[in-house]
Amino acid sequence: MKITNRRRKMVLWMVLTVLLLIGVTVAGWLVGEKAAVTDFSRKNLAPCLAYPFGTDFMGRDMFLRTLAGISSSIRLGLITAAVSAVIAFFMGMASAVLGRTADALISGLIDLIMGIPHILLLILISYACGKGFWGVTVGISLTHWTSLARLIRGEVLQLKESNYIKIASRLGHGKLKAAAVHMTPHLLPQLITGLVLMFPHAILHEASITFLGFGLPPEEPAVGIILSESMKYLVMGKWWLALFPGLFLAAAVLLFHFLGQGIALLLDPENAHR
Amino acid sequence: MLKKKNRKIMVGLVLLAAGMLAACSQGSSSEISAPPEAGGHAGGGSRGTGDRESVVVVMDPASEPAAGFDPAYGWGAGEHVHEPLIQSTLTVTTADLEIDYDLATDMNVSEDGMTWTVDIRNDVRFTDGEPLTAEDVAFTYNTLRDTSSVNDFTMLKEAVAVDGDTVEFHMNRPYSIWPYTMAVVGIVPEHAYGPDYGDHPIGSGRYMLKQWDRGQQVIFEANPDYYGEEPVIRQVTVLFMEEDGAFAAVMAGQADLAYTAVSYADQQADGYELLAFDTVDNRGFNLPAVPAGETDENGVPLGNDFTCDVNVRRAINMGIDRERMIQNVLGGYGTAAYSVCDKMPWYNEESEISWDPEEAARLLDESGWITGSDGIREKNGTKAGFTLMYAAGDSVRQALSEETANQLRELGINVKVEGVGWDVAYDRAQSDSVMWGWGAHTPMELYNIYHTASGGSYARYSPYSNETVDSLMDQALACSDLEESYELWKKAQWNGETGVTQQGDIPWIWLVNIDHLYWSRTDLQVAEQKIHPHGHGWSIVNNVDQWSWE
Repeated sequence: MKITNRRRKMVLWMVLTVLLLIGVTVAGWLVGEKAAVTDFSRKNLAPCLAYPFGTDFMGRDMFLRTLAGISSSIRLGLITAAVSAVIAFFMGMASAVLGRTADALISGLIDLIMGIPHILLLILISYACGKGFWGVTVGISLTHWTSLARLIRGEVLQLKESNYIKIASRLGHGKLKAAAVHMTPHLLPQLITGLVLMFPHAILHEASITFLGFGLPPEEPAVGIILSESMKYLVMGKWWLALFPGLFLAAAVLLFHFLGQGIALLLDPENAHR
Repeated sequence: MLKKKNRKIMVGLVLLAAGMLAACSQGSSSEISAPPEAGGHAGGGSRGTGDRESVVVVMDPASEPAAGFDPAYGWGAGEHVHEPLIQSTLTVTTADLEIDYDLATDMNVSEDGMTWTVDIRNDVRFTDGEPLTAEDVAFTYNTLRDTSSVNDFTMLKEAVAVDGDTVEFHMNRPYSIWPYTMAVVGIVPEHAYGPDYGDHPIGSGRYMLKQWDRGQQVIFEANPDYYGEEPVIRQVTVLFMEEDGAFAAVMAGQADLAYTAVSYADQQADGYELLAFDTVDNRGFNLPAVPAGETDENGVPLGNDFTCDVNVRRAINMGIDRERMIQNVLGGYGTAAYSVCDKMPWYNEESEISWDPEEAARLLDESGWITGSDGIREKNGTKAGFTLMYAAGDSVRQALSEETANQLRELGINVKVEGVGWDVAYDRAQSDSVMWGWGAHTPMELYNIYHTASGGSYARYSPYSNETVDSLMDQALACSDLEESYELWKKAQWNGETGVTQQGDIPWIWLVNIDHLYWSRTDLQVAEQKIHPHGHGWSIVNNVDQWSWE
């Protein structure tokens, strides 16, 4: 009884987390336009009841901006994590199933990408794609599939040696069919866990390259923009410009991390008994 | 990446400054102690051992001359004009931007405007002891004509030294405002000019370069053999810092004068006062004056279907409350701009207009732009609006753009504000608007903005063309008398029938001239400034030799 209780409690917490994140995302999306409204009659206000996060030098409501920024980060994280997970899945699978040449090629590619510092590659790709939302999305998607692909490749190599796959191939199932029908279900837990754990990564990377000026355009509400703008105002004692958005970003990242770990615990057969 | 590093350094500096303030118990700031040692940035909060002859000035890192102190590569001349300090110039601009002499003693131009004859002083020596002769002047101009990366010297055919103290400029075309070019060209020595001149400049000006630590500071020392009035300030140290670092330096008492921005204007610093100087450092945006459809020879689309309507442009010009903008965005530190050259001798006061939203609305109605259900005007199903771009990272231009958008929305015009890089802004300005900054001590700026580009059918930065305006500016350049040419420049802006003002074609909207702000020690007397041009940099030290300590 005790065990199921803990399990249930965790599921409950995770559902709450998901709801919270969905809530923030949707709210930020709905707020959209309002977050960009400038009103010079209320500029540089410290946090108060009407503006809990204060306002900035153009009188933008920092609460709405933060909300919209986190929301766009999460949406961007969702797309990039999904795309990288898909790339990782196919690359890992292909590398393990399609024979030596493919394996060498893909492993080489993974090493190549991992060999270059992430942020550098990200900036290059984002810049080449004309920056903005799509630049960042493509940049993060193309740089973040590698470690998950490696993991999948390892799993598949292991699976290939397992009896039920060998039996399937004796029964005349082709490599691809074996991969699709027999291996995929086995790989899903890793894939989903990897996907969720990629989220915080993607969000932080979006924020950092935007902070550096290679990401989203400055009129867009994005946490990276907010933080880089706030740098200038810290020396003037306008602490609220950086503090709340920074905390929000950290909280969102932590929630995703927690979620990812929870999923790993629940789905991973090794931990299933705990 | 560099940016991030810089910011880290800044944060470090801020913390350091905060720590110092706490540690130094801050004393009374009137006490005068040792000035910061050259290169040493640490030290107490207040000023030095009664050194009344040196000054430490903080400038923006972008002011550091990348190619050194070589006039050919932008020192003094170029986009941001100022007096070159190390070198002498033939002429200088006065406080009201008329022409006076530095090296020159007399100046004549031939009737056809094709030959300028300038007599120069014969008692001037370079700081290496060699005399400055007409040969050096001719050498300087001929070199700049061939190598200048920042200035247009296509009007100059050749500079010839007639004798030791007379030089003749033979022109390719008449250029009445040549004295304004002479005011920014520092004279270099023929015998000591080479590829590394920028690092080791030798001149005959008020100061000599003593030390230059790239990325940090430049130290100037007074020239003991200077032919003019002896500089009061014997040593000038210029530090390069970002805005927040500059303010931190002020808080820590490390600077005597530091540039600052409007966002810092409401701060307090003990022992310092905020100085605001009048400028012609204007901000304004272009409105493409031709309909969309054409492209230029590189395939860049030209024109805009909304702003090509002259009534629309007039309504926009009239519908912007510049005073409100100055209060909102600049905290009052600015003046309304109505042209690219406000307060200059060649400014036509007809440019001025008053805010009149009713008349603006009437003009839009007259042109068929009728307010729709969402408050935005429409005509034949097209929404009234355009995109206004600003240089990403420039918060003042961003705020001005947003304020413009807010004000024009009240008129029923939907302005989309977008931050872009300069790499795309020039091309996109051909079909949309960009928030520009201009303002120079030469009427040539009018020419660059409004005159049809040679070889093209429109002006260079925004599609617009008016034959009468072109011809008046051509006449102004061909004029042999400077005073007369001012009148022609004025007529090019508005001659009673056509021009670039409200009653004319109004292809550019000018919003504000931004005051240049500085934190200055209360006991430092900064000499009276000429109206500052665009660029919040070296202009401030144009007359640093005349500053003094109380």
